[in-house]
Amino acid sequence: MSAQLKDVIIKPDAPSSLLLDKHADYIAAYGSKKDDYEYTLSEYLRMSGIYWGLTVMDLMDQLQRMNRQEIIDFIKACQHECGGISASIGHDPHLLYTLSAVQILCLYDSVDAIDVDKVVDYVKGLQQEDGSFAGDKWGEIDTRFSFCAVATLALLGKMDTINVGKAVEFVLSCMNFDGGFGCRPGSESHAGQIYCCTGFLSLTGQLHQLNADLLGWWLCERQLPSGGLNGRPEKLPDVCYSWWVLASLKIIGRIHWIDKDKLRRFILACQDEETGGFADRPGDMVDPFHTLFGVAGLSLLGDEQIKAVNPVLCMPEDVLQRVGLRPDLLS
Amino acid sequence: MAESKEEVDVLVQRVVKDISSAFKRHPNIDEIGLIQCPEARYNRSPIVLVENKLGVESWCIKFLLPYVHNKLLLYRQRKHWLDREALVDITCTLLLLNPDFTTAWNVRKELLQCGALNPERDLYLSKLALTKFPKSPETWIHRRWVLQHILDQFSSVAQTTEQPVESEHPDAERTLLLSNHLNRLIHQEMKVCSDAACRYPSNYNAWSHRIWVLQHMAKGNIKVFHDELSSVHPWVSMHVSDHSGFHYRQFLLKELITELSRSSSSASTIFGSSQHWTSTVPSSSHLANGERSLAYSPSGERFATVLQLFYQETELCSDLIETFPGHETLWSHRRHVYYLWHQWTQDQHPCGDGRESELNLLGTNDPGDTRPTCAIHEGNVDRQRHVSVPMEVDGVSLPDCDSKRLRRGILLPNHLTLQNEHIFVNSILDSCCNPEQKNFALAYKKWLDTVISAQS
Ligand SMILES: [Zn+2]
Repeated sequence: MSAQLKDVIIKPDAPSSLLLDKHADYIAAYGSKKDDYEYTLSEYLRMSGIYWGLTVMDLMDQLQRMNRQEIIDFIKACQHECGGISASIGHDPHLLYTLSAVQILCLYDSVDAIDVDKVVDYVKGLQQEDGSFAGDKWGEIDTRFSFCAVATLALLGKMDTINVGKAVEFVLSCMNFDGGFGCRPGSESHAGQIYCCTGFLSLTGQLHQLNADLLGWWLCERQLPSGGLNGRPEKLPDVCYSWWVLASLKIIGRIHWIDKDKLRRFILACQDEETGGFADRPGDMVDPFHTLFGVAGLSLLGDEQIKAVNPVLCMPEDVLQRVGLRPDLLS
Repeated sequence: MAESKEEVDVLVQRVVKDISSAFKRHPNIDEIGLIQCPEARYNRSPIVLVENKLGVESWCIKFLLPYVHNKLLLYRQRKHWLDREALVDITCTLLLLNPDFTTAWNVRKELLQCGALNPERDLYLSKLALTKFPKSPETWIHRRWVLQHILDQFSSVAQTTEQPVESEHPDAERTLLLSNHLNRLIHQEMKVCSDAACRYPSNYNAWSHRIWVLQHMAKGNIKVFHDELSSVHPWVSMHVSDHSGFHYRQFLLKELITELSRSSSSASTIFGSSQHWTSTVPSSSHLANGERSLAYSPSGERFATVLQLFYQETELCSDLIETFPGHETLWSHRRHVYYLWHQWTQDQHPCGDGRESELNLLGTNDPGDTRPTCAIHEGNVDRQRHVSVPMEVDGVSLPDCDSKRLRRGILLPNHLTLQNEHIFVNSILDSCCNPEQKNFALAYKKWLDTVISAQS
């Protein structure tokens, strides 16, 4: 009895060059079919959806095709009395969407459109005694929310308003024997959580607390023969996990430990030549989420048709320069 | 088919009612699903009940979802009033169709807080949602909130129970009731997690929820951890690609070893370290059966239990690696088990670096036996040999060791020396022709040489 390796086969006729124009058209058209059933189904994460779409457009230098004023007005309407921002109008505020909203406003250089002091108070109020962050007032704890909190504050230049030492202590308590991180102390290492935790440690200036060689080892083991990366052992490769693993490797200065050419080939094969956009794996349905992470991944791999992306915040480097934010990277 | 706005409203209101009355009439519904059916069948409800399964015909979803979705959002913006009963019905329908709609769960949290909804009902609703959407993060998050809500209620009950000594008796009954309720809840959560783990492989949310439950509802309760280790044994043996399931074992092992390795003086406070209210609720391990809790056993016995845990886990891991070649999960598990062992032996002798080899003596039980102690070297796992080996305690500084007790049937983790790990890997490399297995074995070897050696 032999295990068949969980991986995909890239067909010879799979796309092998970057179809930038198609992707820009796909994203530009995506927001216009608002009555769609799928659109209703995903409304609970709309703010993040807008961040994905706008960021990939900016990386492709096509941001001007999106409706700036409409989006800023929408974000304003999503800020609540407590300062937090919700995914859409009528939904409840949450750290996830507060970060997405702040990221979008940074792309548009219009952070002042919302009440920044209230956002800061909201984030600050979600920090717990042990340093962790709740995602919203209902109290769920996750290292993802620690990242959301410090990323939001870093973009607003208000990191000093929280107890950074305690926050770092909590994130480090989620580190595992393999150098990775899970959602809470004792939880399994997971590439998405690792991205959040390395990003968190970068923004708080604590990357030296990582065991970069050990973590790099685990991250490299995510690369499969197809070139794609998975998020945990024996999972299928996926464009979004490829980004999280690759960005983490970049943050800890170990990006050269994987086979970049093979990864590039895998990501390109996930494009849909007809509709534009990227899917999780070759041949699957495309969506804006995987489109952003496909394009961002190619940028980290050095594609010069795309703007340089920052591995910590997944935003164009020129935007962060404007904000005046330079997250640490290990060399 | 209904098409005008008025017709859609009438249709949808009827469907929402049908769903809620199905739950009222059939409290044993245990699964939900979508029935592929593109066309409406004249004059028949799209809600179908077969045995205990509730099905919704697919044609109605495109009317149903936007309707309940918009209705709830209008309520949230205070543009449309809904009474509590309508809110319960609408959020129920909405969440069964779209369980990651965070705000709908939040509406139910508010109903729970004001007493308009019983927490058990939400444990039930979220369990049903997980039958169709076993990963749904928001459903798991809501479950944790409901459980915490129940724990907080327990806590306030336990506090009001602390009364003068005269009324000791009724209090004991009350604590017993609470404790039974807690055990039932833990048991139910484990079942929900197992079901979700079966429905979706490497289900991160299900397994991390299971860890949360132990951390918040059974902290320090060695019996529950032990039972969990036994109960997931068959499951992981049948799901050798499921890294999350194996990580759960790693978590259990680590917690058990930490608890068992505490000094005997701290044993009596083990239950005090759990949630504050449990200090007034006797541990479930006392109530569940008459056996003496391991937490109160002498340190020698606890020490032996640790050795046995390591032994059994290594045996399981070796067996599975040989039976199912080429699984990264199993090799990753081996790393973790060996790492735990390595840490533990170092913790036992924090001052001496030569002490690990002293413990290693446990493996080479017969000084005259020059054969490799690892039976796997001979091509198969020789259980008989391990079972018959009595424990050699001479020369090993067991804390407060009751050697007679140790000699009775204690199995040694005699694979777990660095040398024996290399022997195990070499035997795999020598005998195997599966290229993946070979790669994983080589990676493990390299890991031993770099990561473990660097820490020794
Ligand atoms: Zn993905």
